Amino acid sequence: MQAILFYLTAVVAILSAFFVMKCRNPINSALNLVTTFLCLAVFYVMLESPFMAAVQIMVYAGAIMVLIIFVIMLLNLGLTVKTRYTHGLAAGGILSVMVLFVANYFTRAGEATGTGGSVTSELIASYGHTELIGRAMFVDFLLPFEIASILLLVAIVGAVVLSKRKV
Amino acid sequence: MTADSSLQFPLLSLLLWLPILGALLCLLWYKAPAASRWIALGTSTAVFVLSLVAGLYSTGSAGWFLYEDASWIEHFGIRYTLGMDGISLLLIILTAFLQLVAVVISWDQDKFSALFFALILVLGTGIMGVFLALDLILFYLFWELMLIPMFFLIGVWGYKRKVYAAVKFFLFTLAGSLCLLLAVISLHLLHGEQTGVYTFALEALQQTRLSFSQEMLFYLCFMAAFAVKVPIFPFHSWLPDAHTEAPVAASVDLAGLLLKTGVYGMIRFAFPLFPHAAEKSLPVLAVLALIGLFYAAWIAYLQTDIKRIVAYSSISHLGFVLLGLAAWNQTAWEGSLLLMINHGVTTGALFIAIALIHKRTGTREIAKLGGIWKSQPNLAAFFLLFSLASLGLPGLANFSGEILILIGTFSSNAVWAIFAVGGVLFSAAYILRMVQGTIWGPCCEPFDKQDLGGREWLVLIPLAVLVVILGCYPQPLLDSLREPVSFMLRQGGQP
Amino acid sequence: MENLVQEAIQNVNMQAIMPSLVLCVFGMVLLMVSVFSKRGNTTHVAWLSIAALVITGFVTLSGWNNPQGGFADSVLFDNFATFFSMICIIAAGLTILMSDDYLKREGSPVGEYYPLILFTTAGAMWMASGTDLMTIFLGLEVLSISLYVLAGFFRDQTRSNEAGLKYFFLGAFSTGFLLYGVALLYGVTGTTKIQGIAAYVQANPDSAMNTMFIAGGLLLLVGFLFKIAAAPFHMWTPDVYQGAPTPITAFMSAGPKAAAFAALMRVTIVGLDGLQSELTSLFWVLAVLTMTVGNFIALSQKDLKRMLAYSSISHAGYAMVGLVAWNAVGLSAILFYMLVYTFMNMGAFAVLVLIGKKGEDNLTLDGVAGLGYKKPILGIALTIFLFSLMGLPPTAGFTAKFYIFAGAIKAGYIWLAVLGVLNSAVSLYYYLRIMVQMYFKDPEEDFAWVKINVPTAISIAISVVGVLYLGIVPGAVMNLAKLAGF
Repeated sequence: MQAILFYLTAVVAILSAFFVMKCRNPINSALNLVTTFLCLAVFYVMLESPFMAAVQIMVYAGAIMVLIIFVIMLLNLGLTVKTRYTHGLAAGGILSVMVLFVANYFTRAGEATGTGGSVTSELIASYGHTELIGRAMFVDFLLPFEIASILLLVAIVGAVVLSKRKV
Repeated sequence: MTADSSLQFPLLSLLLWLPILGALLCLLWYKAPAASRWIALGTSTAVFVLSLVAGLYSTGSAGWFLYEDASWIEHFGIRYTLGMDGISLLLIILTAFLQLVAVVISWDQDKFSALFFALILVLGTGIMGVFLALDLILFYLFWELMLIPMFFLIGVWGYKRKVYAAVKFFLFTLAGSLCLLLAVISLHLLHGEQTGVYTFALEALQQTRLSFSQEMLFYLCFMAAFAVKVPIFPFHSWLPDAHTEAPVAASVDLAGLLLKTGVYGMIRFAFPLFPHAAEKSLPVLAVLALIGLFYAAWIAYLQTDIKRIVAYSSISHLGFVLLGLAAWNQTAWEGSLLLMINHGVTTGALFIAIALIHKRTGTREIAKLGGIWKSQPNLAAFFLLFSLASLGLPGLANFSGEILILIGTFSSNAVWAIFAVGGVLFSAAYILRMVQGTIWGPCCEPFDKQDLGGREWLVLIPLAVLVVILGCYPQPLLDSLREPVSFMLRQGGQP
Repeated sequence: MENLVQEAIQNVNMQAIMPSLVLCVFGMVLLMVSVFSKRGNTTHVAWLSIAALVITGFVTLSGWNNPQGGFADSVLFDNFATFFSMICIIAAGLTILMSDDYLKREGSPVGEYYPLILFTTAGAMWMASGTDLMTIFLGLEVLSISLYVLAGFFRDQTRSNEAGLKYFFLGAFSTGFLLYGVALLYGVTGTTKIQGIAAYVQANPDSAMNTMFIAGGLLLLVGFLFKIAAAPFHMWTPDVYQGAPTPITAFMSAGPKAAAFAALMRVTIVGLDGLQSELTSLFWVLAVLTMTVGNFIALSQKDLKRMLAYSSISHAGYAMVGLVAWNAVGLSAILFYMLVYTFMNMGAFAVLVLIGKKGEDNLTLDGVAGLGYKKPILGIALTIFLFSLMGLPPTAGFTAKFYIFAGAIKAGYIWLAVLGVLNSAVSLYYYLRIMVQMYFKDPEEDFAWVKINVPTAISIAISVVGVLYLGIVPGAVMNLAKLAGF
């Protein structure tokens, strides 16, 4: 049952990701992206992380997608993007098939060592998801988490610098 | 070999760094060519005087009569160690003398003269450093330091194919010295592993225990650097180009001094550090020396450019020197070292004479030259004298060295000596052809009929006097060489 | 819940991130300053960022011999990190010094330029001090994103755009590899801490044979090797170096490269120590390949920035020799080498900054003909840098190469040292070509456009002093490098 659900979702996720690139209308692409995000949320649920699934839907499928569509509308990109990507598609297809094989090889040959992280089902049961995520963010990965804020700042500044019309 | 007193006046350092100081002063006054000229003259005179003063300390025995030692890069055990014995003393005096000559002879150098004199002075530091350094890294430093000014001297002030010659010179010599560097580092580490003392000091490294194959490998690396500089037969092709294209002062330094650093490197470093490998290599060395001797003489005979003839004659003479080293006995070694000094003086003098001829006639082609004897008798006389000395005429400079080499070689291997005598005949052939084509023959029309000027007399007379003295009475030099040479031969182990 | 808060607070150790914190705060303040300052006038921002770097330098140095870790072992500011941070600070300082006038000449004086450099430096510090793969990864990203922007900073120049885009795409790709590697390693070992990975390898020695572990390690390396510009991940270097603004090119070749080396060293030597024999053979091949590719392609270059780009590839190869040695000498040699390389390479680029015309089409071999006579001081400075890049004594290039090759020979890699030395012999040729043009050719131009401005002159002077000081009396700094090893 789970396997069927997994494969179904996976196929949908890949297909919609494919259409993100394939669609010529940016709005269609954006909507396909939403589908991909939703599929990812399903995966989170299957991995017993309902909180992450909720966050995925709220932040990515919700907030970020709204922003993206907002930008598309604002810039009035509409149907202007008409270039065909046939070559790129072929290359990308070949590449992703290769990656698929390689990943498959590793997971099979690598005999996952069975070493789990510190987060186990019992732990989740005793603490609850949110607290565990909080712990990961504010105890274990506090510094990377904070660095990420600088990263975003830099990215925004960079975007502004590069796209400002006039110096 | 031990150092005597450690606290004494740092004469060697002064000798070494004075030219650098002069060079800096030259560069500071780069807007006033006259000033740089006088600074260069003053510095090189001072260095010459200092080198003679250093001679006063000479004891005639083996060992360093002047010695300086200071810590430098402790991290690697690199020290600043200088030492002077009878051999280096003579070479230092020769260096100081030729430097002085080089400065005077390029007095009317007016293209970027400040830079020119600065480079000449830095070159002097490099050469003297090579003759004095006893720490292998210090030695390497000076070894490279010689390269840089020479590269610029040839490249900036040279003749037509200067860029080609300069780059070729640079690449050849540096490729050789990189081998040296690798061997030095390996030796250093090997010694450190054996004794726990990481050092680059020559005397300590001599104690390193090496298997024969290791020794041979290191020896070959060392010899690669030295052989290019000497140059030994298959590595010589940079030399004619460099000589031909170099300005006169650089030619004097190149022939008179730079080639000697190669030989000096062999006797000071390669042989004592790797005596067994050296011993095995002697026949090969002798054969290469003989090939060089004949081959260079033959090529010299075919040349039409007189400067190129003298350049090839240098290879030929250095072949002689090497043969003496390969003979490995007291007489031959003394002869080799003496011939180095003599060759420095005579070849330097020849290059100067050729430069003066070139200045007057505008050409160095034998076919176009001729009849100098009629138009400039004094210059022609000097040219003749130096040529005859180069040819090995008894009573003039080169003869004394060559005869000692021949005697020494005869006692260790008669066949080599017989071949070498043939080489002398060869050299007579090309030198006479050069002299005949230049001095006699149909008179070409020189641009400038003027004979020697005041400054030119000033340079040529001391050289001529030296050529005669070195030929007739080389005894003081031999006295200075005797003990160090015999010590080195003992150290290397007589084959 | 309170437990969690307390635990979080206990883990915080501000001292361990103080230098990068100072830089970030200054970066943000300067962003505001540049917003409120007059358009086209950025000189004060430049000087303020210099001040920021000086303060950061002092803060960084105050941590010498006083290793500070924290944040649940995700950062460790030890001597090693201090040394590399100082290299990046010096590189950033020299870059800023040579930038102000350059930006005005090229017509893009935008204030954000300087804060971006500060953020890059902070990212480099996190890479050097990170002991958690996530810290290193995020540091790398901060550094990279700032650099993408800086490389494409001249929006109206096609070449700069090309540089920015190329760097961005390839960089994003390589980061993807790196992250995939981190994920695989996490999958095997269950941790992203470098120490944790090392402990796991020690406890399960056979894990070195685990394909997943090896694949993870290799993918991780790809990310770092890309930043180092080691062959075969060097393809981006020439175009990006040529197209980017020259001061940024100089910076990229020194600071980020050093930081990537720092991260690579910490990850491999601490984390993947169990794979030593495999990794050393890999690095052996890569080092030789990198040196050779860089040097041989540089031989045929006509554009000076491009030539120096290839030369920087080959220098990455020399530095990797120290990694092959995998011993204390080799490690401190890399530290020393990166410092020296910063001075000599940035110095050379600073001279190029001065002699370029607007658009920099004249920075070719023919373009510097006779420079040595028309601008003797610049000529001498460039000559010193080139001799140092060649590795001739008495410049720092010699001591650095000496150190590197001594480490290799000590570890028994004689052939590697031989190949390295042969490579330096090859490299002589193209450095000499520049000098031949500078001194042996008659000047065609009068170089009248060259206006020596004070800040750039200062950066050249600092580099000259650095190159000569580290070449003649390297003892003190070598000792520091020795103390900075693990």
